[in-house]
Amino acid sequence: MERFSGHAKIAARARLLAVAVAAGGMLAALPVSAADEVNQERLLNVHKEPGNWLHHHQNYSAHRFSTLKEINRDNVKNLKVAWTMHLGGVEGGGIWSHGGLEGTPIAENGFLYVTDGWGSVYKIDAHGGRGVLVWKMDPKTDRDWAGAVACCGVDNRGVALWGDLVVSHTLDGRLIATNKETGQVKWQRTVADPDKGEVITGAPLIVKDMAITGVAGAEYGIRGWIAATDLKTEKEVWRTYTIPGKGEPGSETWKDDNNAAAAGGGSTWVTGTYDPATDTIIWGIGNPGPDWDNAYRPGDNLYTDSSLALDATTGKIKWHYQHTPNDPYDYDSVAENVLVDIPGPSGPRKLALEADRNGFAYAIDRTTGKFVWGLPFVKKVTWTKGLDPESGKPIEYDPNKSVQTYVASVTPSRTNMETDICPGNMGGKNWPPTAYNPDLKLWYIPVIESCNRIKVEVMTPDKLKPREFWTGGGPSQPFKITGSVTAIDVTTGKIAAKLETPFPNLGGMLATPDLVFTGEPSGEVTAHDAKSLQKLWEFNTGGGVNAPPMTFTVDGKQYVAILVGLGGAWDKWFIDSTPELKKIQPGSMLYVFAL
Amino acid sequence: MELSPFPAASILLVSVAALSFSMPAAAYGQAAQTPDPTNAGKAVFSKANCVGCHKWHGHGGGGYGGDALSLRKTELTREQIIETVACGRPGTAMPFFTRGAYDEVKCHDMNRQDAGAQMPPEGGTFLRPKDIEAVADYVIAHIKGAGEPTYAQCVTFLSSGSRVCDIYKTQGEKPDATASTGKSQ
Repeated sequence: MERFSGHAKIAARARLLAVAVAAGGMLAALPVSAADEVNQERLLNVHKEPGNWLHHHQNYSAHRFSTLKEINRDNVKNLKVAWTMHLGGVEGGGIWSHGGLEGTPIAENGFLYVTDGWGSVYKIDAHGGRGVLVWKMDPKTDRDWAGAVACCGVDNRGVALWGDLVVSHTLDGRLIATNKETGQVKWQRTVADPDKGEVITGAPLIVKDMAITGVAGAEYGIRGWIAATDLKTEKEVWRTYTIPGKGEPGSETWKDDNNAAAAGGGSTWVTGTYDPATDTIIWGIGNPGPDWDNAYRPGDNLYTDSSLALDATTGKIKWHYQHTPNDPYDYDSVAENVLVDIPGPSGPRKLALEADRNGFAYAIDRTTGKFVWGLPFVKKVTWTKGLDPESGKPIEYDPNKSVQTYVASVTPSRTNMETDICPGNMGGKNWPPTAYNPDLKLWYIPVIESCNRIKVEVMTPDKLKPREFWTGGGPSQPFKITGSVTAIDVTTGKIAAKLETPFPNLGGMLATPDLVFTGEPSGEVTAHDAKSLQKLWEFNTGGGVNAPPMTFTVDGKQYVAILVGLGGAWDKWFIDSTPELKKIQPGSMLYVFAL
Repeated sequence: MELSPFPAASILLVSVAALSFSMPAAAYGQAAQTPDPTNAGKAVFSKANCVGCHKWHGHGGGGYGGDALSLRKTELTREQIIETVACGRPGTAMPFFTRGAYDEVKCHDMNRQDAGAQMPPEGGTFLRPKDIEAVADYVIAHIKGAGEPTYAQCVTFLSSGSRVCDIYKTQGEKPDATASTGKSQ
């Protein structure tokens, strides 16, 4: 805590915090102004304050698992709305007619911090069984500038806490630090540049006094990156590009004469994870561009469609694991890598789990980046016959080929210009997060059971223009799309349970000791048995659920919170596959439930 | 290229464009008081969310929505544009904007049954015939045949403090890109 020295008030708070942490369960009973400085110690030990939800993905391992069990399988049927709050941010901008809500609320000592799609941050006092807005920080996002190059919606997935600051992103590329007490912006810096087609939709990850930022824009010819900002100096510590520069390792996987790598995509728009034991950040990397014309960019196109491990201190790449080399489908690997330790024959196996857009769930040894197991978590996969059991690569993958064709009859290519793929390009799972129950060793995947039709456009360098789509074709939606929740037993790598749903899961998961919570884009928030996935409770919000649930306590009572407001990619690009959802109105609302 | 049925509008476009190039304002004081007759159509272009696929500049382009036609390169006549907006384009994502199209109003000589799977989607808003004519006039006057988008056209369309038009500036006009507003404590 030396960074607080010389600052009497903060030092005093830090001491209070130490007392509070020592007191364990007493934390919630302290006055609201105490114990609210967030530091690395607290972020590493979130299990010591189970009533709070301090990380975007709940903990550094992205478990989205809460040990709270006041709400459990015996009484969840009595769960009721405790309070609601209307938020803003539904306005349109650029190519978007309205915004939506995809964020995960952060909870600390009875206060919630949520964002709307345009990046306004709301601090809400949840004491006393009701919600009272304490402040709103409106970053005045340049809507037309950012909204014109946001491929997939007016989205912001939430904030992080550090020191006495709320740390957030805006779609127009800023990292903003807001005073937690007053709501005043303390400082901000530009991290991404919409002039290059870069926007930010993810929540920051806080690691050792740095805010880690990912970027979106692989549909607009960006060269992706992950950037670390020192929250004390407000300066950039490192920026690691996800597409190697000329001569760097991996650059040999871009074999074209088009300089495709310079606009090669590889975005990083879902918040990653952190393994403190090895000081490693693990982050999912998005699709190569142009999305569907893979003959434009022969080679494996590293590090697109990969899980990437970075040294947290330097940003240097430690290892990578690529799922779909020379991807012709838009099968991002941008999803969170869930860090899980399971018993193995020679000690604990340290895994990173990722549910990929390509329809396969992967377990990678996170110390080496080597494949452990993989299996389809969707009902229908047509682009490959399966994974090689040793390497985990699609069995049709040929390292000697510069343009991969996989199952050629369905794969988009310059000789197969219109074709149907399963999963569809939105993936078997998109950004909505998984959850992991470490007691049951079950991993819950929110699934889009999908196929769609891809039309290829042959790209040439002259078609690459700033702020214009760089996709090499486009999808259409001739097929009905449904959803499921798939539970995987991580000890065996087999499906343990599957719950089919009428609509794709666009919200994501929350796990508690004997329950899982999720939501439907048709409006229902639901609770399920953690083992069987049998539905035990449902409430229809009257909106479209497009965000994950979370849970917290205040005044010693457990609540479940979820943002409701259908926006994002679905209701612009994919709605024809779910015509019933056309009647869902834009909205922007926080729901909080309790017994 | 088709001749514009509204030559006067083309002349106005020149003067509006000239204004945004920071010409002496006084010389154009009169022009500012004479509204562009296609302003109503420009409003429809935004309100009916034409920009959602064709973008502010009308160039459309590929992407997640598939190909939106370039209205800059279109060879459609005013009448054909009016029909396309009113009835949509069967078999594509171009919606229809006339209330009752394919039901009480036949479109492309088809009703809903005839269109079948080719039935275009319904627009997010319905437009009256006057609005459809206005947006067609706007497209003819400002977009069709207009070549690549320019900075002047962008600020004329958006007339806001947004940075959306910056990339259309010529190199010498570019603002400082390192816009960090941070202030250390």
